[in-house]
Amino acid sequence: MTQLAVQTRTTPTGPVVELTGELDYDSFSQVRDLLPALALQGGQQLVVDLTGVTFCDSSGITALLAARNHALAAQAGIALVAVPAHLSRIFQMVGLDQVFSTHPTAQAAEAAWTPPATRP
Amino acid sequence: MRGTGDSGSGDRPPPGRPPAKEPGNQPGDDHAAFSALLEDSVEDLYEHAPCGYLSTLLDGTIAKINRTLLDWLGYDHGDLVGRRTFSDLLTVGGRLHHETHFGPLLHLQGEVSGVALELKATDGSRLPVLVTSTVKSGDDGRPLLIRTTVFDARDRRAYETELLRARQQADREREELTRLNVTLQQTLLPPTLVNVPGLDVAAYYHIASTDKVGGDFYDLFPLSAGTWGLFLGDVCGKGAAAAAVTSLARYTLRAAAVYDPDPAAVLSNLNTVLNHEYNGDDPRFCTVIFGLLTPDGAHGGFRVTLSGGGHPPALLLRADGSADQLPTPGGQLIGVLPDPHIATVTVHLEAGDTLLLHTDGLTEARQARNSNGDRYGDEALLDFVRALAPTTASDAVAAIRDLLDTFGTGIDDDTAVLAINVPRPTSEEQQ
Repeated sequence: MTQLAVQTRTTPTGPVVELTGELDYDSFSQVRDLLPALALQGGQQLVVDLTGVTFCDSSGITALLAARNHALAAQAGIALVAVPAHLSRIFQMVGLDQVFSTHPTAQAAEAAWTPPATRP
Repeated sequence: MRGTGDSGSGDRPPPGRPPAKEPGNQPGDDHAAFSALLEDSVEDLYEHAPCGYLSTLLDGTIAKINRTLLDWLGYDHGDLVGRRTFSDLLTVGGRLHHETHFGPLLHLQGEVSGVALELKATDGSRLPVLVTSTVKSGDDGRPLLIRTTVFDARDRRAYETELLRARQQADREREELTRLNVTLQQTLLPPTLVNVPGLDVAAYYHIASTDKVGGDFYDLFPLSAGTWGLFLGDVCGKGAAAAAVTSLARYTLRAAAVYDPDPAAVLSNLNTVLNHEYNGDDPRFCTVIFGLLTPDGAHGGFRVTLSGGGHPPALLLRADGSADQLPTPGGQLIGVLPDPHIATVTVHLEAGDTLLLHTDGLTEARQARNSNGDRYGDEALLDFVRALAPTTASDAVAAIRDLLDTFGTGIDDDTAVLAINVPRPTSEEQQ
């Protein structure tokens, strides 16, 4: 059976969600259901760390798109870090490599984040 | 109820755990108090215990039986003792079980516990019981008699019957759900593929799970002026929610193609519809290939224009035995982005060429023979079709079907395959 571990931590630039295991139909709702509880402010960045993701199917992609919609609705940014090779092939196939910004590590994502110009 | 001793011992633990000595309170007082309370006599305990007691000789003749059991069955003491055997009290089925299993096991092990049997009462009713027997041996180790306790299992039997009924109900509902799912699945697929003159077509849908409708879909249908539309796609997720999107996608694709058959325009329309319908925390998308088939007079084959929205590339198996992916690079999945990029490619199918579309249930299958559970993958599929080419639509689909069979339960997701092939001219036509 597939299992997914989800860990969340907070950084000055926004929350980091670390996923470990298989992100698929059996587990994707774990990520989707956690979104409303995330402390994500406008101008921050939601980082999803995929280092430990061993498999991702269309339902898994749904979870990442839900995270993106959630971030955009909060006027925040989203970045994926440590996208494994098998996942980046899928991303390329479905054209999501054009949609998500990616970084090698969470630190790199934090460093690269420049908050948008001050919002009202 | 509390003990009736003096106030100092009222809350003390029962005998066996004597209280600490206190002045004026002797341990013997407690024991006497409890005995008086319980009106304890071994005789009464035996006769009116909350279970049946029975002692039999080694041949089964009843030697001693308590009041409780006699009352349950409606016998008097004299009816049974010395006259009947334990086996006589059992139903025919119980007697058979007693003779073939219970008795031999008891002699072998000296003890049998918790066996469910049915006793016959004098009024003809049956009493489900749980029976435990032990063999009592003498000092020399030789067996003397058999001691048996009998527990009333009527409540337990009623509970088991209820469990069984609930289980049967659940089984029936599960069968009904399976039927509904299969029916729903069938409504999402064309009952048969239309006949396209000059083209050999075949399709197959593999259902991975009978209790979750998958989201794969395909169709092949006529458009105006001798052209044909075809599509194959995969809605994210599974279950009823995915089936609703599948249905919407399928009808939107057919309607959009009538309105404007340009494949990129068809997918763009589908994107608009899905994007309006689903967004926020429950995004729904699909990956899809839409194709427009036009008979190619000059070449004698078909011109195929394919647009891809983030779908695994079609495979082109040529008449010369070569095979390759037909990528639509940069195409993005349909339904979540306001203005996705849709990639288009055009190819000519000549006699003997086969075009194969598939969903990723195939390439994401776990390989049964591979203990580390690696997924089948795009490269393996490409090798597989290279070995197939040249082929026909029906042979290609049959081969994929056989391949899916080898994965067994390793297929997590539904798989759809659709193949079209321009048949080679028959030898008569060539002459």
